[in-house]
Amino acid sequence: MEKACIDINELVNVFSNNYGSVYQSDKLNCFYIDFGGKFARYNCLSLQKLKKVVEDIDIESLLLNTKKADFELVTYNGCDHIYLLNALEIIALKDLLQGTFTMFKLNHLISDCLYRLVF
Amino acid sequence: MKDLMRIKCLLSQDIETLLNQQIKKEAHSSSLYLSMASWCNQNGYDFSADYFTKQSEEERMHQLKLFKYVLDMGGNAVSPEVTGIKTEFLGFREVFEDALEAEIAITQSFKNIAAKCHKEQDFVTMEFLNWFLKEQREEEYKARRALELFEVIGEEGTGRWEIDKHVNKITYSED
Repeated sequence: MEKACIDINELVNVFSNNYGSVYQSDKLNCFYIDFGGKFARYNCLSLQKLKKVVEDIDIESLLLNTKKADFELVTYNGCDHIYLLNALEIIALKDLLQGTFTMFKLNHLISDCLYRLVF
Repeated sequence: MKDLMRIKCLLSQDIETLLNQQIKKEAHSSSLYLSMASWCNQNGYDFSADYFTKQSEEERMHQLKLFKYVLDMGGNAVSPEVTGIKTEFLGFREVFEDALEAEIAITQSFKNIAAKCHKEQDFVTMEFLNWFLKEQREEEYKARRALELFEVIGEEGTGRWEIDKHVNKITYSED
């Protein structure tokens, strides 16, 4: 629904893997995660929180614990979105978010070199 | 592409995490000192109880100083959960030994954050940390001096009573 309201040309693709993509909107100062059939909007803080939540999931115990479902609800307090993901999807989301934050770091270094340190 | 994360916050995620861990450590220290004050008071060491209450307030102030810095720099400061505070001590001397050990751990922790700041060239946070590094000189001196009193005065006879009287008078001067 949200996707229909956004001009995809205005978004910058930050990082993609086989399961999804993260986009940045310079106009609205926010991010969009295209993953698990959802196209969800996040701000800086909520994206950091989501990354922490995903990284804190103990995938090993999820796979080894026979009394627990193989799915995990991924969300946090105040988050507008909920993901119901299996272990493989959690690994994919983790990879997507870690790749995204690596790109942020790279973009920061490039911005420093190109714009902030040249004067 | 805009550098949105940097626009939002001066701190890197690693530094922010370390500072939040330090906030928790300061909160833990504050609670530990309060626990020591309680033990001293119950065992008749009233001057030491006052000393540890003051130390507890100082640690709380350190916690809030770090908390404010993280927020001022655009980061996410986390109010910590403090658990596992030691409430029973084997004796008067052990209280001061634990106090010195806690200060040494705090100094080491600040050194680790400073090392990370140097590695990331985060000189803004480094400059902020200098106040704490200097403060640790005083904190460690006071804790070490208190323990020294056990050697100088001795615990025999009215020794512990003398030590208790002197603990509250320990001051540190750079000059």
